[in-house]
Amino acid sequence: MTQADLDRDDVQLASAGDHDAFERLYRRHVARVTSLARWLLDAGEADDAVQEVFIRVWQKLHTFAGQSAFGTWLHRVAVNLLLRRRQSLGSSRRRQVNDEVQMLAAAGASERPDLRVAIERAVDLLPAGAREVFVLHDMEGYKHDEIAEMLAVDPGTSRSQLHRARLLLRQQLAT
Amino acid sequence: MSDRFTAQLSAYIDGELDDLSLARLESHLAECLDCTRTVAELRAIVAAAPDYRGREPSRDLWNDIERRLDEPEVVPINPSRPPMQPSRHRFGWRELIAASIVMAAVGGGAVWVALDGTVREVPTAAAPAPITAEQQNVEFADREYDAAIQDLELLLARGQNRLDSATIRTIEQSLSKIDEAITEARAAVQRDPANAYLSRQIAANMRRKLNLLRVATQAIAART
Repeated sequence: MTQADLDRDDVQLASAGDHDAFERLYRRHVARVTSLARWLLDAGEADDAVQEVFIRVWQKLHTFAGQSAFGTWLHRVAVNLLLRRRQSLGSSRRRQVNDEVQMLAAAGASERPDLRVAIERAVDLLPAGAREVFVLHDMEGYKHDEIAEMLAVDPGTSRSQLHRARLLLRQQLAT
Repeated sequence: MSDRFTAQLSAYIDGELDDLSLARLESHLAECLDCTRTVAELRAIVAAAPDYRGREPSRDLWNDIERRLDEPEVVPINPSRPPMQPSRHRFGWRELIAASIVMAAVGGGAVWVALDGTVREVPTAAAPAPITAEQQNVEFADREYDAAIQDLELLLARGQNRLDSATIRTIEQSLSKIDEAITEARAAVQRDPANAYLSRQIAANMRRKLNLLRVATQAIAART
């Protein structure tokens, strides 16, 4: 069975109120949602935001029509909630790169992890604007027009931030 | 490697260049090893990015999540609803006291008696399924509350001059503070519609206002 098959079965059970099925969905998806939360919010906000995401998903599960993969739908719900939460927190609490993350990234680079892992770690070090656009566009598949609306920026700004992010990542991964 | 062309590499990878720019860039790539290598590296990043594995949260969140799964959902104020505009007519405390009669009726049943003695039915929303107290509160906040106030604009002129000025001042100050809290919470909900805490704050302040108006109404009734 593929993950999509497992998700489909568990969504059906969870929609009927089965906590165990929803826990399986949580376990399969929590890591990616947690990364999203860390990239779009302050790292200290991530755990609380992840809880909110899964509670929201539980409440909205009956609206999931199954036309897309559950993971895709989950990420849409997560991104919307995380961006709203970020907006309500205000610009003064925007995520800052801290020493711990930088050390983690440096250690990871020296171990030459595979590209996916290396990218995840390098994304932590991107400036906030570039990181957000990279996460939304290249990792989550949003278009520039959508990102512009979500982040209240010009689509041209979204494009330039994406290019900046990719070049910075390339530079980071080359070291 | 040319800065002019480097700036176009992401657009090139994403297929967003117009024909002329595309032709020029591809011509450049045919002879620039640096840019060709950069394109290859950027393509690799773009290809790998969606498959990120993610990292586990700092602790297992499941128990906390499961505890909250069956809590009643607080329906956020509809974010598409335009913010409340100040009414052209400024309600005085006497009108609000009269409004409280209606709201007390809304809270306690489907019928209320206006100051002129007319018996009226309070419209009730069709509810196909039982809803929680919190949902009722928020829905009430969003629709019934405003509607009740506005409906009474036409009815409220009686029962005046029955309280002393100090009581009037106290009531007005209290109402003003509650209104301020409601306005602030509504503004916050506009920014964060999914925030259940803010919705609860609005509902709580609505209840405070209703209680205050009930007390004021009782005071008027006692002096009638």
